[in-house]
Amino acid sequence: MILLPYRITKFALQNFWRNFWLSVITISMLVLTLLSINILLVFNFVTDQAVNYVEDRVEISVYFYEQTTEEQLAGAVAYLRSLSQVRDVEVVTAQEALDRFIKQHADDEEIMQSIETVEDNPFGPTLVVKAESVQDFDFIIQALENPNYQDLIREKDFSNYEEIISGIRGSTERVQWFGYGLTAIFLLIAILIVFNTVRIGIFIHREEIAIMKLVGASSWFVRAPFLLEGIIYSVFALLIVVAILYPVLLTLEPKFSSYFGSTIPLMDHFYHEGIWIFVSELIALILINTISTGLAMRKYLKV
Amino acid sequence: MIQLKNVSKVYPPNVIGVKDVSLHIRPGEFVSIVGQSGTGKSTLSKMLFAEERPTTGKIYIGGWDITNISDQDVPLLRRQIGVVFQDFKLLPKKTVHENVAFALEVSGEKYQRIKKVVPQVLKIVNLSAQADRYPYQLSGGEQQRVVIARALVHRPKIFVADEPTGNLDTINTREIIDLLKKINEFGTTVVLVTHNREVVNALKKRVITLDNGQIVSDVETGRYRI
Ligand SMILES: Nc1ncnc2c1ncn2[C@@H]1O[C@H](COP(=O)(O)OP(=O)(O)O)[C@@H](O)[C@H]1O
Ligand SMILES: [Mg+2]
Repeated sequence: MILLPYRITKFALQNFWRNFWLSVITISMLVLTLLSINILLVFNFVTDQAVNYVEDRVEISVYFYEQTTEEQLAGAVAYLRSLSQVRDVEVVTAQEALDRFIKQHADDEEIMQSIETVEDNPFGPTLVVKAESVQDFDFIIQALENPNYQDLIREKDFSNYEEIISGIRGSTERVQWFGYGLTAIFLLIAILIVFNTVRIGIFIHREEIAIMKLVGASSWFVRAPFLLEGIIYSVFALLIVVAILYPVLLTLEPKFSSYFGSTIPLMDHFYHEGIWIFVSELIALILINTISTGLAMRKYLKV
Repeated sequence: MIQLKNVSKVYPPNVIGVKDVSLHIRPGEFVSIVGQSGTGKSTLSKMLFAEERPTTGKIYIGGWDITNISDQDVPLLRRQIGVVFQDFKLLPKKTVHENVAFALEVSGEKYQRIKKVVPQVLKIVNLSAQADRYPYQLSGGEQQRVVIARALVHRPKIFVADEPTGNLDTINTREIIDLLKKINEFGTTVVLVTHNREVVNALKKRVITLDNGQIVSDVETGRYRI
């Protein structure tokens, strides 16, 4: 019947307006829950980006002795490239190393003078090794202990990025747990508030409900407005969250980007994934509302 | 039309509502059920429209075994039984017309039909002129007539009224009883629960007397005996 959806909507909207402040409180709680979830999502995204960013820049510089031949160097490069843990090997020849050094210290007269007094190039070739992930550095360092290359290597320079990254991860984890805890608390409160809103709604409409039942309204017709009201709450809550989130992201993105010195594509992420994020959040909200409403109706609505 | 076979109702833990009641009400009858307070009159009438289920025994309405009627089928039963209760009120924020229309709306009736039926039943209860008033603008008797109109919208074959005159004075009571007689004359089976002696005596119809949940007398054209 086409009439029923119309009347159910009418009743649901009546419920909504008659308990306006209750509706506002319910929606606010849903908004808080959703916001904390979305802040977590943003936080996770930014952390991942930050860690990627750091990981991208982590490298081992392997300094070879000046007498290392090109064949030996090529062998070392091939060996390193054969390791699955190695993402990239950059070769810096002795001349390039010297050029870089001069360029770096061009302003320092003392160093420049001392360089000029040395006839031969004091630098050997250098390999700049990038790993697939931070955890792989130990393996790569060990691999370089290989007797074929060990004697050619003067020094391995490996700033301890692992500590930095596990530092990031460590503090992230704490914030994440806090976020999960907060979300769980909000979720629980939201469920209780929806439950209570429906309970009050049933109480306020008890006479109408009693009449509906006695004049032969189907129990579905009695229940549907309450369920629809839950869907209305969910949609409102989601719209409010989207309206809050996008401007916030818009202002945050340049801040994050300048902090990390590279673009954190927050807007891009929420633009492309937003539909899925918000659709699944809406479905989750509706599910919470439906379960909570169902429980309240089961307890207080004898139909 | 209505048949009860050895019906008992025990409220948990062990309050007896009615005990071993058997009766048969034929189509078009007007039956009064009388008895003192707490003797099971309301329990009996509630079982007729499946507001309560019997603990033992069987109940048939128009040949339909509603003893263990499913929740899903209850609305179907209720659209065939008009119900008036003493504490079964009007919605204060709706007009007379809206109160009556409400019963049709929530049963999924089309607006065209609602437009047609509501004035018809308001005419039956003689309240056409008051259609746009709110309940607080009506007398007690008028309010009760609206309740009756609302119970008539589905053109029920059975009409159950539990103390419909409970709060009314003599004149209003007579009006309501006359209305019930009119409904009965249309062919509707009427079950009237009352403890009003004059009402029963004036009706000169079948009277079933309950005591302690049991039928103690059942006479055609009876009088109030307790
Ligand atoms: N919902 C109920 N739960 C428990 N006991 C009830 C309930 N309804 C009625 N009773 C009991 O059943 C008996 C019959 O009540 P009722 O049918 O209302 O009598 P009447 O309508 O004749 O006054 C009474 O003892 C009453 O207390
Ligand atoms: Mg009673």
